Amino acid sequence: MSPVTRRRALLLGVVAVVVSAAAVVLSVGLRRDPSAVPSPLIGRTAPDFTLNQLDGKPFTLSTLRGQIVVVNFWASWCTECHTEQSTLNQTWQRFQDSGVVVVGVNFEDTTDDAIDYVRTASVSYPVVEDSDSRTALAYGLRGVPETFVIDRTGRIVDRIIGPVDATRLTNQITSMLPAGEQ
Amino acid sequence: MTATAILPRVRAQLSLILILLALLAAGITLAVVAMRGDGANQSEAQQVQQIAAGLHCPVCKDLSVADSPAPLAQQMREQIAQKLRAGETPDQIRAQFVAAYGDSVLMSPPKRGLSAAVYVLPTIVIAAGLAVATMLVRRWVRRPELESDEDDAAPMAASDRRAVLKAVERLREEEAA
Amino acid sequence: MGGLGSYGLVLGLVLAGYGAVATAVGGRTERPALVESARRTAYALFATILVVNGAMLVALLRNDFTLRYVAGNSSLATPAFFRALALWAADDGSLLLWNLILAGYIAAVALRFRRDRPGTFPYALSVLFLVQVFYLILVNGPARPFATLAHPPADGVGPAPLLQNHPLMAVHPPFLYLGFIGFTVPFAFAIAALLAGHGTDEWVSIIRRWTLAVWCFLTVGLLLGALWSYSVLGWGGYWAWDPVENVALLPWLLATAFLHSVMLQERRGMARLWNVALVIGAFSLTTFGTFLTRGSVLSSVHAFAQTPVGPAYLTFLAVVMLVGFGLVMWRLPTLRTPARLDSAVSREAAFVGNNMLLLAATAIILLGTVFPLIVEATSGEQITVGGPYFKSALSPVFLFLLLLAGTAPLLPWRVTNRARALRRLRVPVIAAALTMVATALAGVDGAAPLAGVDGATAVAGFGLATLVLVANGQEVVTGSAIGRRGGRGGILRAMVRGRRRYAGLVVHVGLALAAAGITASSTLGQQTEVTLKTGQSAVFGGYILRYEGLRTDQQAQRVVLTAPLTVKKVGGGGAGTLDPRMNLYPAASEPIGSPSIQRGVVWDLYASVISLQEEGDSATFRFYRNPGVNWLWLGGFVMALGGVAAVWPAQHGRDRHEAPVSPAPARTADKVGAV
Repeated sequence: MSPVTRRRALLLGVVAVVVSAAAVVLSVGLRRDPSAVPSPLIGRTAPDFTLNQLDGKPFTLSTLRGQIVVVNFWASWCTECHTEQSTLNQTWQRFQDSGVVVVGVNFEDTTDDAIDYVRTASVSYPVVEDSDSRTALAYGLRGVPETFVIDRTGRIVDRIIGPVDATRLTNQITSMLPAGEQ
Repeated sequence: MTATAILPRVRAQLSLILILLALLAAGITLAVVAMRGDGANQSEAQQVQQIAAGLHCPVCKDLSVADSPAPLAQQMREQIAQKLRAGETPDQIRAQFVAAYGDSVLMSPPKRGLSAAVYVLPTIVIAAGLAVATMLVRRWVRRPELESDEDDAAPMAASDRRAVLKAVERLREEEAA
Repeated sequence: MGGLGSYGLVLGLVLAGYGAVATAVGGRTERPALVESARRTAYALFATILVVNGAMLVALLRNDFTLRYVAGNSSLATPAFFRALALWAADDGSLLLWNLILAGYIAAVALRFRRDRPGTFPYALSVLFLVQVFYLILVNGPARPFATLAHPPADGVGPAPLLQNHPLMAVHPPFLYLGFIGFTVPFAFAIAALLAGHGTDEWVSIIRRWTLAVWCFLTVGLLLGALWSYSVLGWGGYWAWDPVENVALLPWLLATAFLHSVMLQERRGMARLWNVALVIGAFSLTTFGTFLTRGSVLSSVHAFAQTPVGPAYLTFLAVVMLVGFGLVMWRLPTLRTPARLDSAVSREAAFVGNNMLLLAATAIILLGTVFPLIVEATSGEQITVGGPYFKSALSPVFLFLLLLAGTAPLLPWRVTNRARALRRLRVPVIAAALTMVATALAGVDGAAPLAGVDGATAVAGFGLATLVLVANGQEVVTGSAIGRRGGRGGILRAMVRGRRRYAGLVVHVGLALAAAGITASSTLGQQTEVTLKTGQSAVFGGYILRYEGLRTDQQAQRVVLTAPLTVKKVGGGGAGTLDPRMNLYPAASEPIGSPSIQRGVVWDLYASVISLQEEGDSATFRFYRNPGVNWLWLGGFVMALGGVAAVWPAQHGRDRHEAPVSPAPARTADKVGAV
């Protein structure tokens, strides 16, 4: 190979390598789901909060230590939240006697709209209002709906972005319950 | 030397002096402004603004918490104000948001690990660009006259060519004056 | 309509395929008849794609919800104007527009070269058709705009609320596309020249003029995007360093570099390799830009895509870069020319500096934009690289560029006569220094005087903008003064003859205005956030603003909540009203705000309402004082105007100063040292 040809081949090789490297990096981005943002809270203790329920009575998260808690952030204006409501209601009904509590946290909403929604959607689990979004910010909320699953020791074990998938939530809970109570 | 020959030279000197004075004034101005403090006491609003400008609004696509009109951003600003009043430092406030949202809530990446590379990049790029430019210009200026198809006439030495061009310039100037 | 559209797209693909093959074969085997048939096919292709776009337009106007795209982007309540604009509101539809504009460019090339054409014409046409083939494959394959729904809904969803809020939606995408897609033409000619292995000088004038025209479109497109961001999005700014905004800027930077370095090739025969690389780079960046926008790689305001077109774009981009730069490497010996400069203080050297700075800016923006992706690919962490980073990294680069723009036009070609240069620089430098002192001393009422490193950067920015303005303005004036000596009409004749130079000076003047505007708005702006009850007032920026109470307006497609404010000057005297709005669209869960702007020569009073309480009895407002924004719009417009003046065909349909093929010695009087 003459030196000219060798140099050309080398340069061509460099171009090919650079382009392939760029393609690999970019294709990583393609495979990523743009809405899935990992939470740094998983594995850490869930931030405690004391918020008022819709009837005005205060409610503190840490009083539920020792039970499994499903914290669901929602809003009456959020159309996707409507789609997951039946899943949450069923989860509550099925597991409430097994030491599982579902808590709804109302986000950027008015009390009246929240009460209306709770009535029409037949929500029977406790619902609190996060009027200044302090709790939402402490949980790293990027939108509604988002659901956090907290184990008996108060640690966050899962974060679900978007409407809850029934199978995923059920599996999560049953994996934390002793065999008899499932 | 005739008067008409001296005059351009004097004018050139005058130009040089004026330009140098202007550059001096500019340099001093820049130095003075750069040294000026921001004013020891920033109002609370300004402090909130500064912290918020460094945080990325979590529900927006590329706006800072200071710029974003979103309700969540507004509540974040209020929370920052409350925390400042409670005596927390800007670093503590930022750390709390990072604990909840991760590093992506900062407008610029933290200066540790791989992310630190992005801060060095501009300096490297600019330095490399300046170096290459200087090198190229130097190399091209020093290159000796080539017998290419450039000139039909007999090749001229570079210095001679410069002298001729300067002479032509001077002639045109005198004509225009 | 759906059927017509689908068949039209298939026909288009066939035509483009035929065109690509016919012209390539015809050029290779020297059969002009084949090339001519391919050239005519370009017209047929354009007509076909036009009909297809027309079909989609009709479907949108008639609300034909059997088409998936119409159901997803139009509704019964949407006004006809915005139904028409929905053509480019989302990915699939905008690909139709993309194909149309590309076909339009190919037809324009076919028309332009219907008689005399360069030897590279067949291959260039082939490359153009091949690019069209790719985009037609996209609309026939992964992204099918005419896909039908089995069960058409009774009403559509309507366009994304943000995209139907303002008439600017009518012009920003088309101009941006005209700019982006236009880079295909210089690219095609560059590839053709490389394939042919000769004639690299022949293509220079062709490519230069097409790139200049495309540059004008892209400048307007970017300007309109910034204007839209400012007038519609309501956050008080015009550039958020969004990844999609960034990638749109990159080809513009490279095109600007090319428009300068091409003069090195025209006059001195230098930088051939560099210019080819720039042209290929610019096209690669436009492809990369579309990929980033549509491939859901990074999330941003424009991410209307989570579609399967991503891998297709990636493949195309890889092919473009491999072919383009591979050809450059292959033809390296023929592109290399011995470069010579007579002096380091000359316009040529300044162009080298200009190119290096623009390349540096491009590299910084590109790397900063993809950096989060690289970090995530290697360590899985997610980070943000936002506005503050880009501002601090790019400020020195843009300041140096301003310095060059203010001094290089005063430098002659080849060699500088020191005395003359100093004399020309005198007034601009003094003006710049005076401006810097003035801005350093001034405290804009209410705002603190400029301070710290940021303040120094701002002062430098104002000073350099003045330098550019006065230097280039001075050149225009003295140039026309010389022309005046040629008698009546002399000025005009001089301007026409030296049109490229004057146009360049005008562009720099526009740049100075824009730079001053950007500096002012980035550093001297003020803002405040205040909650007002009905009847309550706030004092801001020398004005008293009183909230008059909520006004509700039910429209067909939305509910408009207006929070009107009466504006009075502090010293007394009315100044009008501001009407910031919140628009509630059924499809959007949150309201879309519309700001209200009182534009002034020096600064804008800008108000947006961000939330309402107590049924509208109380409202939270953000008020801004934005200085210099209108200078930015004016400056950008002047830049585009200068570009148009430079590219406008001369009287005889062809520029009489078409570049000589070989670097001829600069003998004629008007080429030595001056114009």
